[in-house]
Amino acid sequence: MVEMTGAKALFEALKAEGVKDIFGIPGGAIIPVYDALYDETDIHHILTRHEQAAAHAADGYARATGRPGVCFTTSGPGATNLTTGILNAYMDSSPVVAISGQMPNSVLGSDAFQEADMLSIMLPITKHNFIIRKVVDLPAIIRLAFKTATTGRPGPVHIDLPKDVQVSKADLKIPAEVNYQKVIKLDPNPEDIRKAVKMLVDAEQPVIYAGGGVIISSASAEVVTLAELLGAPVVTSLMGKGVIPEDHPLALGMLGMHGRMAANIAVSECDVLLGVGVRFSDRATGDVRHFASRAKIIHIDIDQVELGKNVRVDLPIVGDAKRALAEIIKGLKLQVKHGRTSAWLQKVKKMREELAPRMDYDEVPIKPQRVIKEIMSVLNDDAIIVTEVGQCQMWAAHFYVVKKPRHFISSGGLGTMGFGFPASMGVKVARPECDVVNIAGDGSFLMNSQELATVVENKINVVSCIFNNRYLGMVKQWQDLFYQKRRSGVYLGKVPDFVKLAEAYGAWGDRASRPSEIAPKLREALKCGKPAVLDIPIDPDEHVLPMVPSGGRLDEPILT
Amino acid sequence: MKTRMFSVLCQNVPGVMMRISRSFTRRQINLDSITVGIEPSGLARVILTFKADDRMAEFMRRILARAEPIIDVEVIDPERSIVREIALLKTKKLDEEQLWKVVQKVESAGGKILEDKGNVLIIELSGSHEHIENVVRELGPEILKEVARSGQVLISRETI
Ligand SMILES: Cc1cc2nc3c(=O)[nH]c(=O)nc-3n(C[C@H](O)[C@H](O)[C@H](O)COP(=O)(O)OP(=O)(O)OC[C@H]3O[C@@H](n4cnc5c(N)ncnc54)[C@H](O)[C@@H]3O)c2cc1C
Ligand SMILES: Cc1ncc(C[n+]2csc(CCOP(=O)(O)OP(=O)(O)O)c2C)c(N)n1
Ligand SMILES: [Mg+2]
Repeated sequence: MVEMTGAKALFEALKAEGVKDIFGIPGGAIIPVYDALYDETDIHHILTRHEQAAAHAADGYARATGRPGVCFTTSGPGATNLTTGILNAYMDSSPVVAISGQMPNSVLGSDAFQEADMLSIMLPITKHNFIIRKVVDLPAIIRLAFKTATTGRPGPVHIDLPKDVQVSKADLKIPAEVNYQKVIKLDPNPEDIRKAVKMLVDAEQPVIYAGGGVIISSASAEVVTLAELLGAPVVTSLMGKGVIPEDHPLALGMLGMHGRMAANIAVSECDVLLGVGVRFSDRATGDVRHFASRAKIIHIDIDQVELGKNVRVDLPIVGDAKRALAEIIKGLKLQVKHGRTSAWLQKVKKMREELAPRMDYDEVPIKPQRVIKEIMSVLNDDAIIVTEVGQCQMWAAHFYVVKKPRHFISSGGLGTMGFGFPASMGVKVARPECDVVNIAGDGSFLMNSQELATVVENKINVVSCIFNNRYLGMVKQWQDLFYQKRRSGVYLGKVPDFVKLAEAYGAWGDRASRPSEIAPKLREALKCGKPAVLDIPIDPDEHVLPMVPSGGRLDEPILT
Repeated sequence: MKTRMFSVLCQNVPGVMMRISRSFTRRQINLDSITVGIEPSGLARVILTFKADDRMAEFMRRILARAEPIIDVEVIDPERSIVREIALLKTKKLDEEQLWKVVQKVESAGGKILEDKGNVLIIELSGSHEHIENVVRELGPEILKEVARSGQVLISRETI
């Protein structure tokens, strides 16, 4: 036991958790914590320009590493500014630990200055949240928060920290063990595994549908092994991009609303679908009545709530993806010969080749498909792609060939415009050795462009490629397709000049107006030693196609 | 739709009731009754009744079981438990004939008259939810001024 303040104990607990980087903005209710930060030499604080960006940066940090990202805010508006970022992390099962200052215990409930009822506000949008009432509880609660964020299905945790708790002193000790009481079932039932093996052995047209849970579980290698052993193609959700190298002969890419044709056809025709670490989201399944309607469905998920939630499942398996897949592989090795060749594999191979999307457009204004092709030609396999939301995101999802897990980072469940840029900042802080490129829409970029100040001041050299169509393009696409081209409230006008905007912050800025300019300018952006913005005017009329309309069937997409 | 009963064991921490009730609100389910008691262990036991089909009931069980402060969710089979509710009833000012009728009714329903001040009665009644419903309905708004009900509490008949 050592006598210390709550603020000091907070840092001792954070260091015990291995925290090195924190994103945040101070204010009156958290000054004591920032005062203690002043003495911390091993903690690197990055002052963002908006708390939402701090949350997204912590989220990006978490997704790139699997370790929790941390952010700080003051009470009231600082804390409420976090909410979009926290919900975004919640929807995508990302471990973020957010700590907000709060008014002192003595005035809580009196509408004191900058008092917001954060326990209630954060409650429905976090995996769990706390208010620390007494300084003696602080060390255990901080450790419990980290444990909660990272155990089982990960998710964000918010801690409300009243100012009196930050300054009061007590004899405190950071507990070595966390008293975490929830029981998480990691090991699948052997009987279920036997059934799964049997179903997979008997399958003639098996498909593996892998998602974010595989990345969380670090089970990519198992997915690839299983696919090869079974001769089963792999489709992924948006969140599963990178689970299997997408140039692997069995990788069919993303399925769903904006998925690849081959992936959607494979799912529609398969006779056994093994869903692993996926939540059968409506964007992935389309009309559930017709989703994999010829198939028996096996679903492996660590969270019981997901099993049978959206689609009927023939064999639900509760457990960790890595462990369950390893057990299935063990069982299968006894039964199937490696590299089975079948009519199904021939068909998969054929679809993969014949339905590969076209990217080699030479037009000016530039076609977005071509932009993705050029970006791919410049970046190596270690580069991390982060996306904003909208058409830009779906072009990246549909066309970009991702080779590794945690190398494609996107706001999936919430679809938060303004996520990509601050998230890319978090990714770069976590993985400074990798090139980090934000594939951005012009509308999305403006939702957090103030972070140009943060990246420039902190020398966080990320590159944003702006797919500049001067529109809220994805909304325009829906209006074009489903609202008789009545483009309402979607034109963004002629400003800003993104090159000048970048330069105003001291970042590198340039524009690529012809296809041949993209690669050399992107190389320059990556080498310039500064954060960079590459403005790429694209064809404003281009749609993301094919597209399965909302609630439509995967095998009935709009093609033109 | 069937009436469901869950007995939820949870940590007695700030926000736990809100966590439970909002997970129902979000799925458009009304809680018919919610009661809380603190167990000898210091944990809270929350008893919930609501209406849902089988699929939704199972979904809600899993949603609750997932919540961090919840330790256990028991699906209650009323057949294998003793379920009781208490009601306190206050009447309007009654005339002699009404008074006579109410006293008889209370007696036959196994209730107790706690007070009688100037022909206004306060009655205590306990029993199953349906039993209390019936009595309250029979007496009706002509007679009753106020009804306070405890919500349902239960204890399992299992001996281990
Ligand atoms: C404009 C737009 C368009 C979109 N279009 C598409 C589309 O066409 N196709 C598409 O797929 N998505 C699309 N999305 C994304 C979609 O909304 C969902 O976010 C996504 O499909 C969910 O991915 P997932 O199923 O992998 O689940 P995630 O949200 O990644 O959830 C992970 C799942 O894995 C489980 N899990 C976690 N840890 C483990 C573990 N250790 N072991 C086992 N299981 C674990 C979790 O419980 C959860 O069920 C789109 C989003 C936007 C914004
Ligand atoms: C914060 C937020 N507001 C609104 C939306 C609705 N929305 C989805 S995509 C989109 C357009 C995105 O425009 P832009 O970033 O320019 O990308 P584009 O679709 O043009 O590529 C909008 C407004 C959203 N997803 N997030
Ligand atoms: Mg746009």
